[in-house]
Amino acid sequence: MNTKIQRLAVGLLLCYLALFVQLNVLQVGRQEELTADVRNDRQTIRDFNRPRGPIVTSDGVVVAQSLPVTDPNAEFKFQRDYPAGELFANVTGYYTFNYGSTQVERTQSDVLSGKTDEQELDALTNILGGQDNSGSVVLTMRSDLQQVAKDALGEREGSVVVMDPTTGAILAMYSFPSYDPNLIAKANTFDAGEVLNFLTNFPGKPLLANAYQERYMPGSSFKVITTGIAFENGVTSMERVFPVETEWVPPQTNNPIQNYGGTACGGTMAEVFYRSCNIPFAQMAIELGPDRMVTGTDSWGIGERVPIDLPGAAASSFGEVADFTDALPLLAIGGFGQASDVMVPLHMAMVAAAVANGGQMMEPFVVDRTLYHDGSVLNQNSPQVWKQPISPATAATLTTLMIGVVNQGTGQAMALDNGVQAAAKTGTAQLNATGEPQRSHAWIIGFAPAEAPRYAVAVVIKGTNDEISASTGGKLAGPVAKTVLDHLFATETAPPIAPAPPADAPPTDSP
Amino acid sequence: MSTTPIASARRGTELGLVIMAGVLTGAAYTLASLGKNAEIPPILVPFLIVVLSLLIVAHIATRLLAKGADSTLLPLVALLNGLGYVIIARLDDSLAGLQTTWIFIGIFAFCATLLLVQRATDLARYKWTFFAAGAGLLLLPLVPGLGRSFGGARIWVSLGPINFQPGEFAKIALALFFAGYLAERRELIATGTWKVGPLRLPEPRHLLPIAVAWGFSVVVMVGLKDLGASLLFFALFVVMLWVATERTTYLLLGVALFAGAAFVAWKLIENVQTRVRIWTNPWPEYTEKGYQVIQSWFALSNGGTSGTGLGLGSPNKIPEVKNDFIFAAIGEELGLFGGTAVLIAFVLIIGAGFRTAIRADRPFEKILATGLTTILGLQAFIIIGGVIRLVPLTGITLPFVSYGGSSLVANYVLLALLLRISDSSARRLGEVPDELMIGERMQARRAAREQRRALRPAR
Repeated sequence: MNTKIQRLAVGLLLCYLALFVQLNVLQVGRQEELTADVRNDRQTIRDFNRPRGPIVTSDGVVVAQSLPVTDPNAEFKFQRDYPAGELFANVTGYYTFNYGSTQVERTQSDVLSGKTDEQELDALTNILGGQDNSGSVVLTMRSDLQQVAKDALGEREGSVVVMDPTTGAILAMYSFPSYDPNLIAKANTFDAGEVLNFLTNFPGKPLLANAYQERYMPGSSFKVITTGIAFENGVTSMERVFPVETEWVPPQTNNPIQNYGGTACGGTMAEVFYRSCNIPFAQMAIELGPDRMVTGTDSWGIGERVPIDLPGAAASSFGEVADFTDALPLLAIGGFGQASDVMVPLHMAMVAAAVANGGQMMEPFVVDRTLYHDGSVLNQNSPQVWKQPISPATAATLTTLMIGVVNQGTGQAMALDNGVQAAAKTGTAQLNATGEPQRSHAWIIGFAPAEAPRYAVAVVIKGTNDEISASTGGKLAGPVAKTVLDHLFATETAPPIAPAPPADAPPTDSP
Repeated sequence: MSTTPIASARRGTELGLVIMAGVLTGAAYTLASLGKNAEIPPILVPFLIVVLSLLIVAHIATRLLAKGADSTLLPLVALLNGLGYVIIARLDDSLAGLQTTWIFIGIFAFCATLLLVQRATDLARYKWTFFAAGAGLLLLPLVPGLGRSFGGARIWVSLGPINFQPGEFAKIALALFFAGYLAERRELIATGTWKVGPLRLPEPRHLLPIAVAWGFSVVVMVGLKDLGASLLFFALFVVMLWVATERTTYLLLGVALFAGAAFVAWKLIENVQTRVRIWTNPWPEYTEKGYQVIQSWFALSNGGTSGTGLGLGSPNKIPEVKNDFIFAAIGEELGLFGGTAVLIAFVLIIGAGFRTAIRADRPFEKILATGLTTILGLQAFIIIGGVIRLVPLTGITLPFVSYGGSSLVANYVLLALLLRISDSSARRLGEVPDELMIGERMQARRAAREQRRALRPAR
């Protein structure tokens, strides 16, 4: 009988070996896949019961934090709180139990909850330091500037983006309408679902960060790109003079192209740029042809997702070569930012920033650095060049042209206080077809000081009503950009006094 | 009472290992009850002390009553039981006191078994009693007014305030019956004289009781809808028959019969179809029948390699986690390491059980030890395999770990029988003096007294 008993033992041992293998499959092999399953909320339950670090602006204002819950019967031991309400909603996002998380709450979730490998290692070595090893995130953004941008935009749908052209750091990025993430993060499952449902269906898409997740027709602000491509390809020069025309018929059609408002427009390169004539830019686009125009727009990053360190960024779009070969009139119209052109507001700020930065387009970012629980630096973002669409010489030429827009042209509303020289380009994107009521987006992009740029800006106000649509980019968006830039220069010598961060928030540098 | 170096070494080892199991239990308990996220309130500490003392009591019982027995079985069981206790207290602190009571009764039953069963071979004489007891216990839940159904299986019996699962005891009774029957007639059954076509089968009258018991248990199991136990019984009978007769034909025949029965059950019983469907793909039924298994997978994945830490997972999201799914809770909070430790503990128990069977000399002891070890090893495999979806899920407890009185008490009795067989072998091999057992000494004294009385000259 002993041999049979031994065989039986071997058989049972094999059964247990199979158990061990399956256990490895579940707990190691497929661990990530199963943990990531949306129906598996264990990770979230664990995270909701431990502290999660704050998100802080560069001027030390806490815009997201976890507050301990005192009620012993509460479902979780911590409550996420957004003290700035809707001001930073599109950047911090929200962090919820049932509806996931968005924006920085999502991308930096591991840092905030202390789950990066570095933090876990650090927690092991500091085992006596207590259990809380949550990290924190310091944004590149300034809360005072964000507030100024919000106030300047008012209750008009649109976006304001301010960035540092030399690094790509976002200083302000606000879109109206926004939402209060507290309404989602603090509500029970049912109410949060209702709020999300309401916001999803609300006009203006408040849940979308319009500044980098939406795209709008750019109108004449696109002429910066067309002009840049034309100069890079030697199709135009500062000496070129365009005839004064009211109409021009592009190839492959009998329908003429007109200038804005049907006026007669022409003159030197500088004149047509600051007056924002349409016909010269249509002509340049035709002279460049589909190949060079599309290659040129590609070099500006159009067609690629804007490489910001936030999830779900949109991609600007110009069109493919094949779209234009047999439709040259569309290429002509596209040359001045109409037709199928759509641009992400952030991308337009990057276009201005590239001109300001000698032709180098930096990758935009909102997370300046992440910190360990003790405040030491976990990860410091280093600026990266994304594109080099134009040479420094072309950048200098475009700067000259854009100074003209502020000093003599359509962007005079952006003349800054205290003699700071700004450079800009306006845009009024006509959305309506002939015969429909007029609808147009108002744009301005620019930077200052023109001679050594420190700030680049893009403002878009959506043409949601007659009043906005009857106006122009210079008149509507220009003052918003001016307000923001004036505030920046006014606070440069005397930085704003930041409110003291809460006691347990990590120390931050003032900007 | 005399002792020998081997006996004292074995018992010394056992004591050391039991203390180690106790320390591990205490450490696990402390982890689960300390810190901000404490799941076990401090008021339950006295219960823990009782549990740890009970394990020592069990050790003292082997020291007195089975001093030559294997030294690893009790510590392994102590570890599993202690770990299970901590997990149960962490899952539902209101069960800590009850589980302590069950452990108390279990250890009491363990001591009582060691005391009453002085020679394992004595039990062979009562095989028909065990047959009747096993059959009766299995039938009990079907008695109107007594039986209770939970979760689709009618395996509970209610006697006033006490609920118990007679099936847990029936498996031991039937293992005893089979060991007794097969030890007596295994040669007759092995040497088939009855030709049916190419097969040589034993004479029907030798096979009849087995067939009756087998068919009977199948019918009852189908009636009770207790699939896990049904599977366990099937396997137990086949394995015991195979080992006793040493004829592979019986193993193949058993497997074939099992496959046939499983197929018929799958065709006819909706419950079986559901289980198989959930086993092959639970995802479409996540919100219903598949929920438990998927949650168990989620729990295990949440645990990962090293686990969330005791008290830091969410095992309570799994329905019935304290009973059948307790392994998922261990896997979540103690990770792959903890789950593997439990597997290793069972493998070591199986090893010690089969070693006992091989060392045993008398066929009855050999077959019985094989059967009892198979029950433990297979039951753990069936439920762990079901929880991690290696095999279809069939509700059954994880021996010594799951919450529940019947299972715990029955398994402690089973453990005592294994230790008794192990001790008998040690005596036979001369490793410990084959002195009289306590009961036998008392009997001898009584006999001597009566003899003296008989010899006294009548007045």
